[in-house]
Amino acid sequence: MKKNYTQASRRRDRLAELLIRICGLFVIVAVVWILVMITRVALPLFYSPKATSIASISLPVELKQSRLLSIGIDETQQELFSLDGKGLVHFIDTRGGTLKESVPVPDPPPGARTVVSAELVSKSLYNLLWDTGVVSSVKIAFSSTRSESGNTIVSHEVSADPEGFFPGSGAFKRSFVRTIEGKGAVRVDQLESDRIRVTWRSKETDLFGNEKATTSSSEIQDPLPAAITAVVLDHAGHYLYAGTRNGQLMRWDISEPGEIRLLDSTAVTGNSPVTALNLVLGDISVAVGDGKGGYTAWFPVTAAGSGEGKQLVRTHVLRPHTGTVSAILPSPRDKSLVSVNDQGVIHIDHVTSERNLLTLKGAKPVAMLALSAQGNSLCSLDTAGNFAVWRLEIPHPEVSLGTLFGKVWYEGYDRPEYVWQSSAANDDFEPKMSLVPLIFGTLKATAFAMLFAVPLALLGALYTSQFMAPRLKSRIKPAVEIMAAIPSVVVGFLAGLWLAPLIDKVVLAFFLSFIIIPVMLLVTIFFWRLIKTASPLERRLRGKEFIVLIPIVLVGTWLAYLLGGIVEVQVFGGDFKQWLYSVLGIRYDQRNSMIIAVALGFAVIPLIFTIAEDALSNVPRNLTAASLALGASRWQTAWRVVLPSALPGVFSAVMIGFGRAVGETMIVLMATGNTPIMSGSIFNGLRSLSANIAVEIPEASLNGSLYRVLFLSAVLLFIFTFIINTVAEALRQRFRRKYGRY
Amino acid sequence: MKQYWKTGEPLVMLTGAALAVILVMTLTLVGVVLTNGLGYFWPSHLVRLELKDGSTALGQIMKREKNPLTGEHRLQLKVSNRDLYGQDFRWIDEKDVTGRSLPKDALLLERREHGNFAGFLSGLSVDGLKVDQATSPLEKLKLARAAIEERQPHLDNIRKKMMTLNQQAESMRLKLLKLEYRNREQHAAEIARLTATREQVLAEFNVLNGQATTAQAEIGGFTAQFKDVSGGAKDIPLVDIMRILAPNDMSIPAKMLAYASRVKELLLDEPRESNTEGGLFPAIFGTVMMVLVMSFFSLPFGVIAAIYLREYARDGLMTRMVRIAVNNLAGVPSIVYGVFGLGFFVYGIGGSIDAIFFPERLPTPTFGTGGILWSSLTLALLTVPVVIVATEESLASIPRGLREGSLALGATKFQTLTRVLLPMATPGIMTGLILSMARAVGEVAPLMVVGVVKLAPSLPFDTTFPFFHMDRKFMHLGFHIYDVGFQSPNVEAAKPMVYITTLLLLGIVIVASSMAIYFRTRMRKRYTSSHF
Repeated sequence: MKKNYTQASRRRDRLAELLIRICGLFVIVAVVWILVMITRVALPLFYSPKATSIASISLPVELKQSRLLSIGIDETQQELFSLDGKGLVHFIDTRGGTLKESVPVPDPPPGARTVVSAELVSKSLYNLLWDTGVVSSVKIAFSSTRSESGNTIVSHEVSADPEGFFPGSGAFKRSFVRTIEGKGAVRVDQLESDRIRVTWRSKETDLFGNEKATTSSSEIQDPLPAAITAVVLDHAGHYLYAGTRNGQLMRWDISEPGEIRLLDSTAVTGNSPVTALNLVLGDISVAVGDGKGGYTAWFPVTAAGSGEGKQLVRTHVLRPHTGTVSAILPSPRDKSLVSVNDQGVIHIDHVTSERNLLTLKGAKPVAMLALSAQGNSLCSLDTAGNFAVWRLEIPHPEVSLGTLFGKVWYEGYDRPEYVWQSSAANDDFEPKMSLVPLIFGTLKATAFAMLFAVPLALLGALYTSQFMAPRLKSRIKPAVEIMAAIPSVVVGFLAGLWLAPLIDKVVLAFFLSFIIIPVMLLVTIFFWRLIKTASPLERRLRGKEFIVLIPIVLVGTWLAYLLGGIVEVQVFGGDFKQWLYSVLGIRYDQRNSMIIAVALGFAVIPLIFTIAEDALSNVPRNLTAASLALGASRWQTAWRVVLPSALPGVFSAVMIGFGRAVGETMIVLMATGNTPIMSGSIFNGLRSLSANIAVEIPEASLNGSLYRVLFLSAVLLFIFTFIINTVAEALRQRFRRKYGRY
Repeated sequence: MKQYWKTGEPLVMLTGAALAVILVMTLTLVGVVLTNGLGYFWPSHLVRLELKDGSTALGQIMKREKNPLTGEHRLQLKVSNRDLYGQDFRWIDEKDVTGRSLPKDALLLERREHGNFAGFLSGLSVDGLKVDQATSPLEKLKLARAAIEERQPHLDNIRKKMMTLNQQAESMRLKLLKLEYRNREQHAAEIARLTATREQVLAEFNVLNGQATTAQAEIGGFTAQFKDVSGGAKDIPLVDIMRILAPNDMSIPAKMLAYASRVKELLLDEPRESNTEGGLFPAIFGTVMMVLVMSFFSLPFGVIAAIYLREYARDGLMTRMVRIAVNNLAGVPSIVYGVFGLGFFVYGIGGSIDAIFFPERLPTPTFGTGGILWSSLTLALLTVPVVIVATEESLASIPRGLREGSLALGATKFQTLTRVLLPMATPGIMTGLILSMARAVGEVAPLMVVGVVKLAPSLPFDTTFPFFHMDRKFMHLGFHIYDVGFQSPNVEAAKPMVYITTLLLLGIVIVASSMAIYFRTRMRKRYTSSHF
């Protein structure tokens, strides 16, 4: 019985020890786990994009003889189509390469027999130029449904779009038609290699509801430097771009009927011919490919110094091709481009981030390229009549280390800048995700807060640990610890809704208090001297000086308030903020960096105070006693003996405070305007990494770019605080070993 | 003088001044919260101001401040009557005021909607209510109000029944969904039965709904007519009146009673008017429950980790690494925990739970969205270091001799731990528990990411099975401050509510931390004097 009991308790002891050890080590696991989990979400940002070859089929025999004009592919890579010169749309199964169906284009214009050329206008809308000179539109759309058994079934539809009909006669090299909802249409024809004609058809409805159509036409008169090699018209029919054989890019404004205005004529390639030209999604940037493989993107920018309009400027240089760029195709989803050279090498690049996403090599030169409506299928037809189909997986084309941490030239900006703007109202908006303004905001807030908090906390800790009467100390220390427990949301709320409006009213008094309180202190020190050493009053007040100083601080604040009002009226004409703006040109935000300094400083003071006070108190008493016995004053002892010994501990206190300030969320969120600007002014707000996460993550879609970028900023915060805390802890451990307590 | 500087006494004063500034700042913070928070419930006088232009204004004077340019004072008057004037507050220059008076019959009504009403009673339409024994119109109004109050339980009863039925119907809907998802044919009979019961429940619900509407209309018909100070008439249904006060005609004890009743409302009632009025009950309940669930996870884990560090680990690389890990857990920004909780708990574990147990409800998430369980777990991780540090400290303060004595008597290490050390360390563990709770009560940033909402439709605990609804979203005092103070459309009117919430939160935190510190000091004192 007894033996059993001993055995059982031994067994239990061993088991408990094992469990306890596992539990202890779990702390390390938890820390590592947090880092691993948030990194795992952030990392896919940097995965290289993937293209999977789905099919490689040759043209069905039925189509060998036809003249193909355009191709297209569906979302699921199951079906593709080709449009031929007879106006037939052939749907081909990508798995077997068999012809599924041939559908004639509905309602061809009377008398028209063959299609001269086809242009992809938007997602599934094609403009066809017929041999009679008439242009009509056709919609070739795929749709997919999920069947009961879980397979996707693709169906297609070819329908006419009467809106796109534009009469004309004659033979053209190429024609563009754009219909403007409710207003009419514009048509651009390239007659010969150096003649372009623009025709406007405007529809007007008069008071009685009668529609009146007027047509006007004019030809471009501007002298062309060389033959035109590429032409492109934007979707709104406002701007016409043309590239020439000697490498000039020209841009005309044709938005007003009857008026063609030349806006730009810029050398873009350095004499080699412009061989491919297309607009990036959103119609602001134009991508240019040349005969030597040069590949660049341009958009109009307000030229520095000149008051007049915007000029085309080369904003992005994309990875060059090895030979002549033969075609550029914009992605229908983002600012990516697919381009191909004369040897059949396909590049997929993102314009803004200048990332070369993918390079695909075919065996033969490519004749035609197509992307699906969502941009995740790519199809090419080579000159030998073989189709190649890829599935593209490019989850985050717009994010790269360059866009996160470097300056990026976004559309609509006059120069490369650091911008954080994750969402906007319009659809073709490009998210701008530079972490630099946020890191700047974080460091700015932290720096101001530390500037405010460190002197107060350290001096206060020195006083409490070295000079304060022991009985008071046992009251004050817990008070500061309770102060540390004040929730940051409370501090943030008071900073945002009480302090900010208050300081807004008494900015000057706030500044003056930094002068007046020290002056008051000097005066007090002067009078303090009059109290004789070892007099009853002195003995009574020794170690309690700060109690006398509390009213001094209050009186100082009140004086600063009074003086602030006087100075504002006398010196700044009654309104300091107005003066600031009109004389110095500085904008004053109500929730600015001063508020942050005070609020965030207030939050970290107790933390720094407590740790520093512990370190200072833990310096062995015999050191202090020896110093005092040798005749040093209490200040000399504290300054020359205690502080140097406790320095590692004090330093680690500051670092831990720093780490806390970097990661503090609610105070920064509530006490700043959360504007992600990079300005060093103390009168402006800011946005920190942590507040940014809190603001944006509810709106970020799961696994989207924004979501992952926010996780990345969490990783940054983690790593940053990890380093600070580890160093601080290492310092503290060394300090403890040195003095052997704890 | 030079000598004086050399001894460094002035610098001692400087350090003292730093401490003084810290204390002044803290006291200011507490003072601001106290003055703004405590005063709001006090029914202060309704002042009638006669203005130079001949108009009058009635309201409570909130603030008096000086225009720094002209040196003149202006008053902030809370005129109430949001529905009549469009705003609650008005600034009046003191020089425009020609007369002040405190009309005895001025009434302040707290209403269910549109904030307060300040004005005078002009008539009553209460035929059918027993108000005969009243002498004055005000008495009549109060009696009528009380009579309506008596009828209220009937309506509340119906509403409660409706809610239960609604919940039943909802749980049946989910059951049906599950059955249909599994296999339609196999469970056809069950499905038919459930559908029929559900129809029945819904029909019952509709009957009750009709009853409620009639009852509501019946008591909604009793109204009282009021006039604002400039004579504008306003008809207010008696059910919409929460409380009737005549602050100019109230004695101090009466005012204190009114104050107490408002405090009771604050603690026990639901919020109204998009959280800017009414009570805080759901937020208090959510906070408390979240903290309790959190402690359930963080306390055992923290205590065991501390035992490992203090009793089992030998001083070596491993221990140092554990210590560094503990410090990092304490030092990692709280928002990072939120992000981790979102990625790991909510979308990771929660998503998997949904996929395995509730696939029929997808894409509507059950656990794959923020909720009280995920919030508690996230905060548990965040507060573990607090428990570890406090427990470790208390274990360290237990003299060596006690351990050695126990071991010498033949006890195993585990027995020593459970029978000697842990009972002695209990105050320290309590300290850790309370401090971790205080920390969790005030932490908002991670909760914003993993499951707190501005208005939760139902509490995470109720009388329907399984009682604890861990997947539900909840309200939280700290988030309430942020939301009402910074996200509500009418910040100026919402401010008092924010101050009161702040006061409550600050009170809880300060009391909790003081208790924790008290326990700790006692623990320390107990062993410092008795060295073996």
